[in-house]
Amino acid sequence: MTVTTAPPPASSGSAVAAPPESRRQRRRKERLAARESEIPIELYGLPRGTVTLLTTLAFLFAIFTLIPIAWIIINSTKTQANIFQSFGFWFAGPFEFFHTFGLLFQNVDGYGTFIQWFGNTALYAVLGGVGATFLSALAGYGLARFQFRGSRVVFYMIIAALLVPLTALSIPLYLTYAKAHLINSIWGMVLPSVVSPIGVYLMRTYADISVPRELLDAARIDGAGELRIFFRVALPLMVPGLLTVLLINVVTVWNNYFLPLLIFNVNTKYPLTVGLGLWSNRAVNSGDANLYPMLVMGGLVTIVPLIALFLVLQRYWRGGMLLGSIAN
Amino acid sequence: MRSSWIHRRDRRGVWFVAPFLLGFLLFMVVPLGYAIYTSLYTYRIIGGTSFTGASNYTQALESGQFWSGVIRVVIFAAIQIPVMLAIAFFFACVFDLGVAKFGTFFRTVFFIPFAVPAVVGAVMWSFLLEPQFGPFTRLTSALGFGNTNFFSPNLLLASIIVIVIWEWTGYNMMILYTALKSVPRDVIEAAILDDTPLWKIIFRIKLPLVRPAIVMLVFLNTIGALQLFTEPQILEYFQTGTVSVNYTPSYYIWNTAIAGDQTNLAAAMAVILAVIIVVISALSLLIRRRRGEFA
Repeated sequence: MTVTTAPPPASSGSAVAAPPESRRQRRRKERLAARESEIPIELYGLPRGTVTLLTTLAFLFAIFTLIPIAWIIINSTKTQANIFQSFGFWFAGPFEFFHTFGLLFQNVDGYGTFIQWFGNTALYAVLGGVGATFLSALAGYGLARFQFRGSRVVFYMIIAALLVPLTALSIPLYLTYAKAHLINSIWGMVLPSVVSPIGVYLMRTYADISVPRELLDAARIDGAGELRIFFRVALPLMVPGLLTVLLINVVTVWNNYFLPLLIFNVNTKYPLTVGLGLWSNRAVNSGDANLYPMLVMGGLVTIVPLIALFLVLQRYWRGGMLLGSIAN
Repeated sequence: MRSSWIHRRDRRGVWFVAPFLLGFLLFMVVPLGYAIYTSLYTYRIIGGTSFTGASNYTQALESGQFWSGVIRVVIFAAIQIPVMLAIAFFFACVFDLGVAKFGTFFRTVFFIPFAVPAVVGAVMWSFLLEPQFGPFTRLTSALGFGNTNFFSPNLLLASIIVIVIWEWTGYNMMILYTALKSVPRDVIEAAILDDTPLWKIIFRIKLPLVRPAIVMLVFLNTIGALQLFTEPQILEYFQTGTVSVNYTPSYYIWNTAIAGDQTNLAAAMAVILAVIIVVISALSLLIRRRRGEFA
């Protein structure tokens, strides 16, 4: 980030009378005023080469971050033998990318089809994510704009629920499903995902700052019903917060591994995470089925939609919202 | 002054919260209650299920297996979290100050692993660290260190730490970056006009102002670390014999419930793990509340 602003012209008259330090200070003040958002970096008084050094460090960490991604892209083109025997960070023929990709649509080893797991994950993520966002918006708005009996108790319950770890909850869910005959039911996966205490917490904060009480009262005086006010007045104002909560919940369901691992034991119900985990276990004994290339390709196809989603929705991803609501 | 009309209207708020509360009851309260109930019983092949009170709890608490897992995740947390937060804070400062080139590009790249499911992350790193053909093993032997087995008992925890640091540093950096961006600009400007050196601006002004964010991240990462499951489980799947059944508490609970078929004992251990985590969380909340950092 190079600074292109020209140095401000020195005013000759006062410069003589003023001591050197205050002159430097005034020059800095002028430089600061010239830039709106960024503070010009030469004002920090850094030694020469600092920017180069720090850029190099960032570059090294970027390499560390991209190594597995580069590896999985390169090796998605290889045969099983080449995945292990050729140099990991360069291509080796024959080019098997499309062949392996085609195998994702078949039930190669009789233990499940990748594309079905992909569809399952998408279904669980969409139902769970949309459901969680809708319930969070309703509950968050209800807690932010109504003071009914017990509303504070409900709020403290949600805070307490934030502390219950997912793993600790998955085992109880599994035990309950075993009793209630919900093992292998997709609702056993979707319905718990719809209950998102962090979503309610965030939506309550967001509704509080974005939905003015006066607007609601005006709508009430006009005779609108509460549900209509929610859908027509409050919900549109909460859209940016809704997108953040939706993104959080979709990613949570997409990445969930422990709960589906416990509650599904037929491979037609598996999400991607459980299916790929199974392949990583079976690949060593898969023999002719050549599961290793499919494991690599499956991993690549799993991460591409999520990375794309994040790059597209980056501006809606408000880490600050998560932070602000909890830190304040 | 609130009229009775407003009071009556306020009561309707219950209906907005009711759907969530129903789900909360059915999918959090009931299962937790049922797990506690289950943990008080024991199944025997002869005699079936019978009430045995706290015997599952004494069995879990007295077994070294459970505690060795707890100690391992505590060691894991004590190394992984400070290292990760130091890296994340360092880069968050660098990008916030704008003292490295291509800041936007690097921030995007660093954030990518957050979009990678832990299962896929663990699978990729399993290939990279594989002890016979993995590129990292080949690198160490090419550099003359001999064949390094990253899955050996000595290096396994370090390997898992690297994987988890890879997965989560970008996310933590983003949170810290957002927090640093909210530090008022005039405070920094005043410090610059006073000739304050940069390291003092960072450690005396910025660090204290983003401390609530750091405390929150320590808290969230600790809860995550105590539940460590996916990475060791996938490593064991990838290469059988790498990870012991009781490597982490969650992994031990899973093994006890599924492979060991001792659901009652697993329920007791799940309750103990939940209590440990809730106690740690509640303590940290209390400390923060006393310092006035949590409303």
